[in-house]
Amino acid sequence: MTGMTAQMIFLAFFGAAAVWFGIVVFRTKSMVRSALALLFSQTAVGLMFLVMQAEFLGVLQIMMMATEMSVMAIFMVMFMMDPGGMGAMDMTHQKRLSLWAGGIGLVAALAVIWLAAWGPAVPNIPGAAQQAADLGRELLGRSMFIFQSAGLTILTAMVAATMVAIAPRKERKE
Amino acid sequence: MILELMIALTAGAAMFGTGLYGALSQTNLVMIIMGVELVLAAALVNLVAFWRYLHPEEPAAQMFVLIIMAVMAVEMTVGFGIAIARFRSRGSVEMEEARELKG
Repeated sequence: MTGMTAQMIFLAFFGAAAVWFGIVVFRTKSMVRSALALLFSQTAVGLMFLVMQAEFLGVLQIMMMATEMSVMAIFMVMFMMDPGGMGAMDMTHQKRLSLWAGGIGLVAALAVIWLAAWGPAVPNIPGAAQQAADLGRELLGRSMFIFQSAGLTILTAMVAATMVAIAPRKERKE
Repeated sequence: MILELMIALTAGAAMFGTGLYGALSQTNLVMIIMGVELVLAAALVNLVAFWRYLHPEEPAAQMFVLIIMAVMAVEMTVGFGIAIARFRSRGSVEMEEARELKG
């Protein structure tokens, strides 16, 4: 089995897993299971990155999503009226419209993917160490402004979200 | 035809469709955030696939992946900030009950 064939098989496997767990997120009644399904879906995406030889991004995706989804599971339990799904509440609306929108989006994307001419394959890519070095130079060189803007945006969002979440002074005094 | 690219993009398209369905059909704010996360994950898959199979010599593509990850973090932060504020004032994060935001 050649390297590219193995890559294709693993890519299809992890791609199918990512999609399947993504569907499970909206099919299960238990919110904790939803958060776990999203965690598995995002981990499968990280594994797809590893299969595509983007080692740094793959590890980053898995680590980041593991933390993010754990936080999400906690929020689910805090905010949901029925986090365990025992009451089998229906928490959906405009199902038909959503199905049509999702279906049309999927078909349009598939049409573009399968009808476009993507050009010849480029099988050789730099090694993991070279990729990390190139990315570092990119981030601290040509793309520094964009990278710094992203950092500043996260900081602003953190401060804004904390300010929104803090109870007003009146409420705290009561 | 680059079959590996097609497989990755097809998985990305399926994730996009699922995420779009979830974001539009769910009534709970946290579930809507989950749908948006899936859509952004689809964008990540596409970006890495384009980098790997079309332009592996271009590190800027990987930089865009980091930017999308930052967008995911920001989206979650702001979403949960709003969820906490909403839960505190109304005791629920059900979007069916937030019709006054419609304008």
